Amino acid sequence: MKVLNKDLKYVGQTFPIHDAPQKARGELVYVSDMSLPNMLHAKLLLSPIAHGLIKRIDTSRAEALPGVIKVFTYLNSPNKAYSRYRIIPNQEFCIEDERLFTEKVRFVGDRIAAVVANSLETAKEAIALIQVDYEVLPVLSTPEEALRDKTTKIHPAGNLIYQYESQLGEQALLLHDCVDVETATHTQKVHHATIETHACVADFNSSGKLTIWAGCQGAFGVRTIVADLLELSYNKVRVIKMPMGGSFGGKQEAIIEPITAFLAKEVRRPVKLIFDRKDCIIATMTRPATSSRIKTRVTKDGILIDCMVDTVVDAGAYATSSVDNAYAMSKKICKLYRIPYYKHQSKIAYTNTPVAGGARGWGAPEIMTALEIHMDAVAKMLAMDLVEFRLKNLVHPYDRDKASSLSLGNARVIECLEKGAAIFGWSERYNREPDKGRYRRGVGFACAAHKNGMYGGFPEHSTMTLKMNEDGSFILNTGLHDLGCGTLTSIKQIAAEVLDINPSYITVLEADTEYGPYDFGSYGSRVTYICGACAFEVAKRVKEKLLECASLIFRKPKQYLEVANGRVWIIGHEQQKISYREIATTAKIKDNTDIIITHTYHGTSNPGVYAVHFAEVEVDTKTGRVRITDYLAVHDIGKAINPGMVEGQIQGGVQMGIGYALYEEVKVGSDGRILNSSFKDYHVINAPDMPTVNILLIEQGGDEGPYGAKSVGEIAFVPVAAAVINAVNNCLGTALSDMPLTPEKILATL
Amino acid sequence: MQIEFNVNGKEYKMDICPTMRLVDLLREKLGLTGTKEGCGEGECGSCTVIMGGKAVNSCLVLAPQIRGQEILTVEALAKDGQLDGLQESFISNSAIQCGYCTPGMLMSAKALLMANSNPSEEEIKIAISGNLCRCTGYNKIVNAIKEAAEGN
Repeated sequence: MKVLNKDLKYVGQTFPIHDAPQKARGELVYVSDMSLPNMLHAKLLLSPIAHGLIKRIDTSRAEALPGVIKVFTYLNSPNKAYSRYRIIPNQEFCIEDERLFTEKVRFVGDRIAAVVANSLETAKEAIALIQVDYEVLPVLSTPEEALRDKTTKIHPAGNLIYQYESQLGEQALLLHDCVDVETATHTQKVHHATIETHACVADFNSSGKLTIWAGCQGAFGVRTIVADLLELSYNKVRVIKMPMGGSFGGKQEAIIEPITAFLAKEVRRPVKLIFDRKDCIIATMTRPATSSRIKTRVTKDGILIDCMVDTVVDAGAYATSSVDNAYAMSKKICKLYRIPYYKHQSKIAYTNTPVAGGARGWGAPEIMTALEIHMDAVAKMLAMDLVEFRLKNLVHPYDRDKASSLSLGNARVIECLEKGAAIFGWSERYNREPDKGRYRRGVGFACAAHKNGMYGGFPEHSTMTLKMNEDGSFILNTGLHDLGCGTLTSIKQIAAEVLDINPSYITVLEADTEYGPYDFGSYGSRVTYICGACAFEVAKRVKEKLLECASLIFRKPKQYLEVANGRVWIIGHEQQKISYREIATTAKIKDNTDIIITHTYHGTSNPGVYAVHFAEVEVDTKTGRVRITDYLAVHDIGKAINPGMVEGQIQGGVQMGIGYALYEEVKVGSDGRILNSSFKDYHVINAPDMPTVNILLIEQGGDEGPYGAKSVGEIAFVPVAAAVINAVNNCLGTALSDMPLTPEKILATL
Repeated sequence: MQIEFNVNGKEYKMDICPTMRLVDLLREKLGLTGTKEGCGEGECGSCTVIMGGKAVNSCLVLAPQIRGQEILTVEALAKDGQLDGLQESFISNSAIQCGYCTPGMLMSAKALLMANSNPSEEEIKIAISGNLCRCTGYNKIVNAIKEAAEGN
């Protein structure tokens, strides 16, 4: 599928996201806007303490409140444990440690009870009437404490969820003439901060069917978890992917759907559960906090000999995806640098803090931030130019990924760095005389690698059905999830390009477990590369079929036919062209044929995707505040299907990354209390804080994605924090690596 | 309590609980769900509407405060099915991703352009400083507002 630069009509053009007009009019119905006849409202009681046992729970006053339908706790709900992370049955590393309601609370925000009532106001009022007495247990608020304390167990098996070690390559025996460098980086818990909070509507009807309207990233995963938990067969559970107000990994795992489904099933009426911002910050998921110690050995002329990493991941109160997250961290470094010997040890621990889980980049931002802070330290130790040192060690196109043994494909990170450094004016800006006054400017950059789908570590396929309507328009039925980043639009562009028809004649459907084909979901940077390739393949097959039908009309073999703009003719006889409508209708009436194809595409590769970001910062040495004054993002994207949306992904990733570097942290006190559970004290970057992000796309194709395309949504976030932190450190001559770099931390070093 | 007010050019006289927030009145009583709620404390701006010509967070406005007021919501921007220049510009500039902040963002921008038809980039950024967007990084939103202002 290495079609790159023929004359493309739709791929490579900017189209607005498919539902932009409805969004601009305020007409699009999100889950939070939904209302069904007879619908009830639910509210949860969340634990106010971080660790304890419920000794007594009294729901009688809540139950007596007029308008309350029913109150649920661990006493009248299934005691079955599940993993919110599960995508498919029998999946490895889905630790089943969570219940709908708990008897033992493990963090501030754990689910204790739910009230279902006629109105949300009544449900809230009733929640306040539930009385709970606890036996308070010691709080373990950091993984270090949790791993040290052998008597306080957050879960019965102890606080260490999992540990592993991976070793790749051979350790060199040559020890002389080398330099050892060691750094430690701490990354913090971050709130995904989707502007729409988590919401779900569920209904269980008299035919025994459960319907769930979900703003999720994986409808089939939600079905697996809910159906198995509630002991329903999968054909009796329908999950409908709804428009969603942002996700960023925060709606990847089934957080709110199992409980809403359970409540609807119990009360036999539609139930809506919507989290407020506080619930969303404390009781959904955070990006995992991690600590990574990196030790490398380099020759004096700057060649990496080995790299040893020790990581501790704070999973929070439940394991969710943390084991796979830690594995993901250990599979990134060798996608970026040529390292003869690489060793990564990880420990994943429970703590009495908010649950951590999937978050944009999935381990890559955490480890790449630590790595790129480290690489600056190594180059500085060698007194070597920061760019030159990277260039000696970065991977080359078609190198093999040590961790997966797969080809890294057309990995253009060196081109990103060289071109970016030239455009940014790196060496002049880095080598200029340092500022001495109150405001000081500095520059930094970071390289980053990520992936394209799950091939090599997990099953990887996608199925789609493309049908041609009688008028020659098309419906592409998929298991996709548009998270608000333009997935459906880019898939439509790909299909339109293959079918040679204006995209307005193609409708792309999102995941619906009852009416649509299976798909794993929108994560793992798999959508464009894998699902896009599926759209390409299915469209190619439908085109073949419609040409076969056209060849019957023309009584000429297919190879004598030409196609453009939804019309077909015999080569050399363009004046006698027939429309797709005529072909579709004739196929039905005369040939008794239906033009419809279902295709399953199997991933066969997983190339690296790369970005190098450059930042200029200005530090106010009096207040410790950092302002980003210039920014350049260079991306090895293969081919941008929709450049406007690609730029939007990159600019959004930079915004989130600046927050990660400088401001954002879900702060947890030593007693497990959340110190900033609202947007008043959790600072999300706003427009005046945001620099203009200049973008350079390297579009060299060369891999198996549709038209050469590779992923962008996750990699856009990966290098940002390191670029900003490296800039601050270069500016101040510091070695800060404890994120976020708040004004207090910066002032403390001056 | 009985109050009279005007939403999107339509007069209303309703009996409303005095503690009801404007955002709930719009979404639940009038069915205008274009106005979104993201935080309930005036920090995210998703619920921004125009009241008396000024952008306000409708989650911070209580029913008694709307007595005699004229309120505009995102649903009022398009006229006779035709999108407002700001809406067109948001669409053509790829300034919309998940779209949840879009209504509030549009209403803050509209209030700005109603008061200042030729804002500078700084003025645009300040006008939308109370509207959080987590998807776009604001660059394209600022461009869209600039372009809409230039087209006026």
